[in-house]
Amino acid sequence: MSKFNVGDRVTIRDLPPLFHTRTQGYTRGRTGVVVALRPEWVIPEDEAWGRYEGRREPFYMVRFNQRDLWPDYGGVAIDTLETEFSERWLEPAANASPAAGNG
Amino acid sequence: MTKSSPSGYTSLLQSIRAHAPGEHQGADLPLRISQERAEAMLHVVHDLGGQPDGPLDKSLHTPAYWEKCTHSTAECLAWRGVWVAEERRRRENDLGETIYFGTPYYARWLLAATKMLIDKGLITPDELLEKMEEVRHREEGAA
Repeated sequence: MSKFNVGDRVTIRDLPPLFHTRTQGYTRGRTGVVVALRPEWVIPEDEAWGRYEGRREPFYMVRFNQRDLWPDYGGVAIDTLETEFSERWLEPAANASPAAGNG
Repeated sequence: MTKSSPSGYTSLLQSIRAHAPGEHQGADLPLRISQERAEAMLHVVHDLGGQPDGPLDKSLHTPAYWEKCTHSTAECLAWRGVWVAEERRRRENDLGETIYFGTPYYARWLLAATKMLIDKGLITPDELLEKMEEVRHREEGAA
């Protein structure tokens, strides 16, 4: 059962990195839009440390505006970046209205 | 390079200084570091997005025999349930920045696999060293 749906605006949790992560530093604290749901899989926090049958969660493909990620982004406004997160890294965006240019 | 003579060991030490210029502090001082420094130190080594780099080498590379063997070995270890790709990536980070950035891509795989096998008690470091020595003799004999 997925907590988020395609089109939901989500903010990536800004937890400290420690030893290993699949949540890129440049996405933390940033807001994007869910564009695809991925099947449940073991979260990297378990797989990376030998718990191969660990906790399973839905994964989400999230699309960001490049200009939201990089303060000095030099490309055009419609440029986007998509990357995946397990559910625990996402929270509903504070401002739930769709961002211009997203989706 | 031979390390069997004192001068051989001296040249190894010089080589280490040239290739592993990590910042060294006397003993364990200072006892405190700033929050900013701690965050920089704890940043995960493979999380490179946004860091200055380049130009990117986009030339095609034909995998060498040892690289194919490394990849096959890693996959076989996964097939036998000894590890998964995500654990390999974490173990590459655990090699530390000097080794991570100072070695070829598949050398990191190889070092991560080696350390994993020792960590899990599947091989012992002494039996590996003996095997490496045996292979070195064999290769030198073949040359």
